[in-house]
Amino acid sequence: MALKTLTRSARTQTYKPVPVTPPPGPVKRFVSAVVPPVIMGLLLIGLYAWVRSQLPPHRLFLMPSAQGLWEQAFSKPEVLQELWERSLVTISIAVCGLAVSIPLGMAIGIVMFRFHVMERAVFPYLVALQSIPILAIIPLIQSALGFGFLPKVLIVALFTFFAVPTTLLLGLKSQDPGILNLFRLQGAGWRKMLWKAGLPSAAPALFAGFRISTSMAIIGAVTSELFFLAGKGGLGQMLINAKTEFKYEQMYAALIASSALSIGIFLIFTWVGNLLFSSWHESASRRG
Amino acid sequence: MNALVEQSEPSVEIALQFDAVSMEFPDGTIALDEVDLTVERGEFVSVVGPSGCGKSTLLKLASGLETHTGGEIHVDRSHLGYTFQDATLMPWRTVLPNVELLMELRGVPAEERRRIAMEQIALVGLEGFEDHYPKRLSGGMKMRASLARSLALEPNVFMFDEPFGALDEITRERLNDELIELYLRKGFTGLFITHSIPEAVYLSSRVVVMSRRPGRIIAEYDVPFEWPRTPELRYDPEFTRLAGEISVALRKALEG
Repeated sequence: MALKTLTRSARTQTYKPVPVTPPPGPVKRFVSAVVPPVIMGLLLIGLYAWVRSQLPPHRLFLMPSAQGLWEQAFSKPEVLQELWERSLVTISIAVCGLAVSIPLGMAIGIVMFRFHVMERAVFPYLVALQSIPILAIIPLIQSALGFGFLPKVLIVALFTFFAVPTTLLLGLKSQDPGILNLFRLQGAGWRKMLWKAGLPSAAPALFAGFRISTSMAIIGAVTSELFFLAGKGGLGQMLINAKTEFKYEQMYAALIASSALSIGIFLIFTWVGNLLFSSWHESASRRG
Repeated sequence: MNALVEQSEPSVEIALQFDAVSMEFPDGTIALDEVDLTVERGEFVSVVGPSGCGKSTLLKLASGLETHTGGEIHVDRSHLGYTFQDATLMPWRTVLPNVELLMELRGVPAEERRRIAMEQIALVGLEGFEDHYPKRLSGGMKMRASLARSLALEPNVFMFDEPFGALDEITRERLNDELIELYLRKGFTGLFITHSIPEAVYLSSRVVVMSRRPGRIIAEYDVPFEWPRTPELRYDPEFTRLAGEISVALRKALEG
């Protein structure tokens, strides 16, 4: 048997291996997670400081310094006390609004899913409702319902309503039809299908809707109060009061507090969502 | 009913009968055209045919998921097993409550359904995976869980809609053997849809060939091999000859 001579063609190139890189350790992972947002934050603070330095002295009050914020707002117990009390008022408006919009929105989502004709009938008006500038109808709500707690709750409900029925409907519609066939083969009725298959399967989508709604709720509550100055109100009222009293540091403090509330609620819902769905749902298990 | 059955012939119970069954969709396409098919109790019948010929429709009609537009279907639907092309497990439930689902829908008390579910899980070889979510199971394990779920109802007729089509060859052959074991043990009547001729021959006591749409039954083959069947059978000349014959019939179906 003749020996073969093996040759490579002229165009053959040799590719070298790349050694395995070890996975990053906990310190490295922490640094890569924390450093980028911190740098971005510092840049934003720098930008704020730069814009402030460009302001003429008589307009400096518009952008309080860190020192001003501390001395005029966050170091004063009475301001902290006010922030706390008003936050509670704002939260209670937000929660009551959600207590209206979430059950109502879920009911409408379920009805739209159950009866296709209702989806045809209702969905365009949901979109229309969403397109109304809510700020613009607050005076109307005021004229109709007065200045009490109820109109503010209604405003929050309007702000937070849209995301609930739409996400629920989407979730219910994207159920596995095979699972529904299993229910049909056992002669199960639509209530059983909804309870045992539809709602669990739609829960992650619905929860995404909750996250949108609940963080909108604080915005809605603060906004609603800008128009209602009677009585002891929440953070929105504090914003207006601080402006009229020319205490811009306190105004900023109220703004920071309301953002913190929104972010806090968002984080809580994200956390609860992960807790509920990470064991089985893809969207929740991968994050960040 | 024909009362004049000859005394000497043993009477055979019919598990499922299609009597000139047709299925026409509202847009006018005819999925099935006067299909006659009789499945005796304890038989395992596979249906092969070109894709889109209405094989799956056959199962949907028999099970009542869809309603036929002509002819008659005779079947006892009270204990029906049904597996789909994918495992259709509920991703939010672990294996055990998934296997319990059908019993739950039928109102079987919790303790009893747990006991039965554990038995079926053991039967399909999923012990130790009761608390696993489907996303952590392999394709073959998901299918086993799906089979266990149907077995829990002690089905007298078990329908399979290409259940192993998405699995790799090795897993598929293993599940074929496991299915034969379950069939011999439980004695259900099987109606199995597949596009794999070797799978059809390996599993069945009879193979039925359907034409392309509108679907009709154009040929039937009795499969003579002994039970239980072993993997070596796949390389038996007689097996190859029968599979080849069915393959020719199927090609004719595609042309004609």
